[in-house]
Amino acid sequence: MHIQPILVALRRHKAGTVLIALQIALTLAIVCNALFIIHERVAHISEPSGVDEADLFVIANQWGAQYSTQETVERIQQDIATLRQLPSVQEASAANSYPMRGVGWDNFITMQPDQRAPTSDAAYFTGDENFLRTLGVKLIAGRDFRPEEVQNMGLRQNVATPVAIITKAMADKLFPKGEALGKTFYAMTSTPITVIGIVDVLHRGDVSTWSAPYAGESMVVPIRLAVPSGLFYIVRAKSGQLAAAMREAPKALYAENRMRIIDPKDGLLSFAQVRHRAFERDRGMAILMGIICVVLLAITAAGIVGLTSFWVGQRRRQIGVRRALGATHRDILNYFMTENLLISLGGLAIGVLLAFGLNLWLVTRFTLAMLPLTYVLGGVVILLLLGQGAVFAPALRASRVPPIEATRPA
Amino acid sequence: MLKMTHLSKVYRTEVVETYALRDFNIDVKEGEFVAVTGPSGSGKTTFLTIAGLLETFTGGTYHLDNLDVSNLDDNARSKIRNEKIGFIFQAFNLIPDLNVFDNVEVPLRYRGMKAPERKERIMGALERVGLASRAKHYPAELSGGQQQRVAIARALAGSPRLLLADEPTGNLDTQMARGVMELLEEIHRDGATIVMVTHDPELAARAQRNVHVIDGQVVDLAEDPRFHTAYAAAAGQVRG
Ligand SMILES: Nc1ncnc2c1ncn2[C@@H]1O[C@H](COP(=O)(O)OP(=O)(O)OP(=O)(O)O)[C@@H](O)[C@H]1O
Ligand SMILES: [Mg+2]
Repeated sequence: MHIQPILVALRRHKAGTVLIALQIALTLAIVCNALFIIHERVAHISEPSGVDEADLFVIANQWGAQYSTQETVERIQQDIATLRQLPSVQEASAANSYPMRGVGWDNFITMQPDQRAPTSDAAYFTGDENFLRTLGVKLIAGRDFRPEEVQNMGLRQNVATPVAIITKAMADKLFPKGEALGKTFYAMTSTPITVIGIVDVLHRGDVSTWSAPYAGESMVVPIRLAVPSGLFYIVRAKSGQLAAAMREAPKALYAENRMRIIDPKDGLLSFAQVRHRAFERDRGMAILMGIICVVLLAITAAGIVGLTSFWVGQRRRQIGVRRALGATHRDILNYFMTENLLISLGGLAIGVLLAFGLNLWLVTRFTLAMLPLTYVLGGVVILLLLGQGAVFAPALRASRVPPIEATRPA
Repeated sequence: MLKMTHLSKVYRTEVVETYALRDFNIDVKEGEFVAVTGPSGSGKTTFLTIAGLLETFTGGTYHLDNLDVSNLDDNARSKIRNEKIGFIFQAFNLIPDLNVFDNVEVPLRYRGMKAPERKERIMGALERVGLASRAKHYPAELSGGQQQRVAIARALAGSPRLLLADEPTGNLDTQMARGVMELLEEIHRDGATIVMVTHDPELAARAQRNVHVIDGQVVDLAEDPRFHTAYAAAAGQVRG
């Protein structure tokens, strides 16, 4: 195409050209960062929990009366037994938290008792010998807890267990040279904890960004928690009987003991609901970013359509003259398409720099990762196509200006 | 070169049909310099735009360079305009965004000519109209006469067989008009066929042949006493 005369002519229309180029630049910068944020959030949302999510649900139980630790332990065991007896229930277990709960316990982990800077800040689950089996977590090395290893822990008590099961991610962090089984570490006490088992994946209770450096680093200790609230019954329904189990379980528990509160809204959640709630903010952010992308792209497209339409109107006569001098429909169409391409390329060149600049700011200001080049290239392609698409209708109108237009009085 | 027989052109609007041309007959021979005169609204511009393939006609036949052009598609018409016809408009119609050089280049680019040949032709055409030194100027920086010379250079650069000019001196003062007319005469002497619409009897008299249009028809000037005197006077002026 004839690029040189188009560029020359554009120099006589600086204001519009610069305005559209800058709009394209800004759109590119924002859109590729937004797309990257969407990608990150979606990746977060689809993180594996490590548990067998189908047929799983949780009950948040609060006692309505004061019990001693021993009484609480007994009542909890009675509840678990009640749940297990339900025909729709496969397995049940009590714990302090569960993966993707939204919040959770965590503990600084050191390799030596006097170590200053912790090696990890691991998610901390308390559970008995049924905890992992109920969740359906995959043990990849070592063994599960034995009933005799499990200790009771009441309110305001601190129990230091000598053993723990940790995730592979945590094992890799603590023992990068490999073979974590049988090795020891410390969790805020002077008692060394021996690794007796390793599970593949057990997502943290929290899903926030602060724990991103410790993603996947979880540990389970053999503790039977006996507290009046903040205790969860993890229940696995028999295959396909989740709905029935979720209906029957609270009824059975109330029938057994009325002195309890199971919040009708938050106290009974299927794991699907747990996952949905955990990533509500991520989903919201992804949707917001998506809307921003669509709106920005629409505004940019409208800007291109508007400016080109204005230019076509302004240049009707010269289009007619060009047609009179031998330009075909296609020549005129190409002229405007190429003109847009040149403006877009200029804007995109600036936009690439802006995109990385904006990303750098987001990286330092918030905890966003570095923008991969593929997102910038993707954004460039999207905006080039958008520009060519937006300019097509006015360019087509331009190509239909008849040559007779050259002879009309100015 | 240019032959129209029983040609008609009707402009239709919702309310009226205007016959801009009716039973229009003309035969311009190769190498002729024809001046077209006639009252305002008689159809001179309409004739010229049809002759230049800027517009289609309603009835009759038109042969350009022995080619029946009535059924050509738009691309073919563009190609003929580009290669065979040079236009000179009353309003000059230079492209304001382009300098003199780039303006003259426009039809050559549409012809797909290579850059070195384009440059040679552009400079040749600009030298011929005496504006080679203004190649980098923009139209707004030139006088009307100079702009029309650039337009003539643009029409000439592609070496067209037929030059169509619609009141090329209409927007110029007498001095500049004379310069443009001399240029056209020179081009004619070099072999081009020229059809020029003009209101100026003096200019018309300098053409080889005059065609008079009234109400969309060619009338024989010699048989119309009303115009005979004016024509003779103008012709006499020029000869004298
Ligand atoms: N696009 C159009 N639509 C309708 N009528 C038209 C159109 N163009 C020209 N006409 C009519 O056709 C007739 C011939 O017009 P034309 O422009 O050819 O005259 P002209 O001889 O060039 O006049 P002038 O000397 O004023 O330039 C006029 O009646 C005019 O009103
Ligand atoms: Mg006219």
